Amino acid sequence: MNIDLNLIFPEIFLSLSIMSLLMIGVFKKNSSNLIFNLSILTLFILAALILNLSSVNKILIFNNSYVIDDVANFMKILTAISAIFVLSISTDFLKSLKIYQIEYPILILCSILGMMVMISSNDLIVFYIGLELQSLALYVLAAFNRDNVLSSESGLKYFVLSALSSGLLLYGCSLIYGFTGSTNFNEIANNTNQVPYGLTFGIVFILVGLAFKISAVPFHMWAPDVYQGSPTSVTLFFALVPKIAATCVFIRFLYVPFVNMIEQWQMIIIFISIASMIFGAIAAIGQKNLKRLIAYSSIGHMGYSLAGIATGSSEGAQSTIIYITIYVIMNLALFCCLFMLKRNNEYFENIEDLSGLSKNHPILSLSLLIILFSLAGIPPLAGFFAKFYIFMAVIEQSMFFLAIIGLLSTVVAAFYYLRIIKIIYFDPSKEKYDSNHSLGLRISLIVSTIFLVFYFTYPNSLLGIISKINII
Amino acid sequence: MIAHAIFFYIFSFIAVISAVMVTVSKNTVHSVFFLILDFISISCLFIMIGAEFLGMIMLIVYVGAVAVLFLFVVMMLNVAHQKNTFFKSTHGSRHIPIGLLVSLIIFFELVIVVGGWKYKPDLINSISLEISEVSNTHSIGYVLYTDYIHLFQLSGMILLVAMIGAIILTYRKREGLKRQSYFSQISREKGDGVDLVDVEKNKGVKIDV
Repeated sequence: MNIDLNLIFPEIFLSLSIMSLLMIGVFKKNSSNLIFNLSILTLFILAALILNLSSVNKILIFNNSYVIDDVANFMKILTAISAIFVLSISTDFLKSLKIYQIEYPILILCSILGMMVMISSNDLIVFYIGLELQSLALYVLAAFNRDNVLSSESGLKYFVLSALSSGLLLYGCSLIYGFTGSTNFNEIANNTNQVPYGLTFGIVFILVGLAFKISAVPFHMWAPDVYQGSPTSVTLFFALVPKIAATCVFIRFLYVPFVNMIEQWQMIIIFISIASMIFGAIAAIGQKNLKRLIAYSSIGHMGYSLAGIATGSSEGAQSTIIYITIYVIMNLALFCCLFMLKRNNEYFENIEDLSGLSKNHPILSLSLLIILFSLAGIPPLAGFFAKFYIFMAVIEQSMFFLAIIGLLSTVVAAFYYLRIIKIIYFDPSKEKYDSNHSLGLRISLIVSTIFLVFYFTYPNSLLGIISKINII
Repeated sequence: MIAHAIFFYIFSFIAVISAVMVTVSKNTVHSVFFLILDFISISCLFIMIGAEFLGMIMLIVYVGAVAVLFLFVVMMLNVAHQKNTFFKSTHGSRHIPIGLLVSLIIFFELVIVVGGWKYKPDLINSISLEISEVSNTHSIGYVLYTDYIHLFQLSGMILLVAMIGAIILTYRKREGLKRQSYFSQISREKGDGVDLVDVEKNKGVKIDV
């Protein structure tokens, strides 16, 4: 066995920096600031290292259990970059909650390592190890503000339900191993020419586990409580980064090992997708808390991204990747606005706190307007194009039912986004919020909003990269 | 072959029944006892299919460490509630019979497995098994540090995350805690601690701390 270790250099670099950052943090007193900055630097270098690899074609290493290809590289870079933004905009918030500790960025780096392993996995065992590494770090992050009852509750809830779903996933893995005789994705694909019932059960269990991880209906129950209970910066991380990795794993599972079993999984994915779209649109209407609203809206968005995968075509998977990229940017911008609702070191997270925001904060409310229109999918903003590519791919496979349901639920979902805009612009104004925001927060909001507005002028910027990606 | 089947069904039956009992018994101490019985039955099953390494690991890790720790925790938590019934073996205690039953079953299981293994090695010769010359431990060792090295290292990272998590969720820095410092104790000299003063008559000495 001869492995070119350069291929997994990003992973090795990340693990080594996790350990050295931990050492620095433990032995140097009051080094939270240093560790935060070093973690951001680590992520920059990580993105550069992965970018450096992207010239490599598809390569399998470690006995074909680990794959380096275009999808993996793109998703890893997206993960690293979104984590940079997450870390740089959450420092002020953590300071005000008095949980500005060295372990916070280190746990985020650990979960990113797990996500990178998940994204690159070509084997059931490697996938599971990566999944456990990322979710173990996420459990701790959810309960990070341990003196707060809601945060502890959300950590416990997330831990119990996630452990249950991991159990189901493992059961599915063992069924698949039993019926195909291998844990390797390519071997599984070769051994599934005829499909016994046990194999179908295995697929169902694995899809249940994965749907839980991206909080798709009917396995979404944890999302609103966990999103509301965790510290907002952790909610931001939950809403963005794990979804990237889980979507990539979804694509890889359905397009590599289960590629011959499309009849078995297509109906399941279509059901999950439709249920998430409808539920996400309807359940968000009555929400009063912005974080809960974001949780329901992310359930809906996951439904759209699954619709792309449900086509089973290469274009579908590409449109899903575009969708998840734009989703990440939109949610990042939304959370930036949420972090700006601060008065005297206290953060506000209810929808009524937005009332009349436009009088005192015209720029903030203008960017909120753009972000919410984009989330609702109104042209010419980026969110429209994301949905447009998905529905193009769906209609190309003549799955009209899915497309119609998707469009209708977009209309329903537009209601609650528009309601927030109405509250911002037409309701009586409240007290002014602070306007001394950190540089990272301002830059993140400006960059992401500009991307959302001007995406239509040069859509090839994203489309060109992703259309080159070879899914299979 | 028949003997193999009989033992298989005995162990599986005990494993399933005790797993059910873990969930249905109202007393947590009983639950932990049944959990231990369940683990031991499963490790007997492992040993029967020739995976003696897995079986032993199961015994050492789950029974030896996890379940016993569990038992301690459960007993600690329930001390106030069950002090009267548990620690006095008077009549009215229902722990002793169940504990005895579980330990008797465990004893017989071990007798069966170890006895069969020692004195009748062909007992486990079922068709599905290939008894090779290389032992389990050897063959796991061959692949664990070569083909699966990346998984081995990643498991290490998982344990690191678990450790960090356990520390930040439970460690509380206490204020005003006085710690012993050996260095400053030893390097203390007579001049630091003793002050000789002349005491005036009927006035005393003012000591400032």
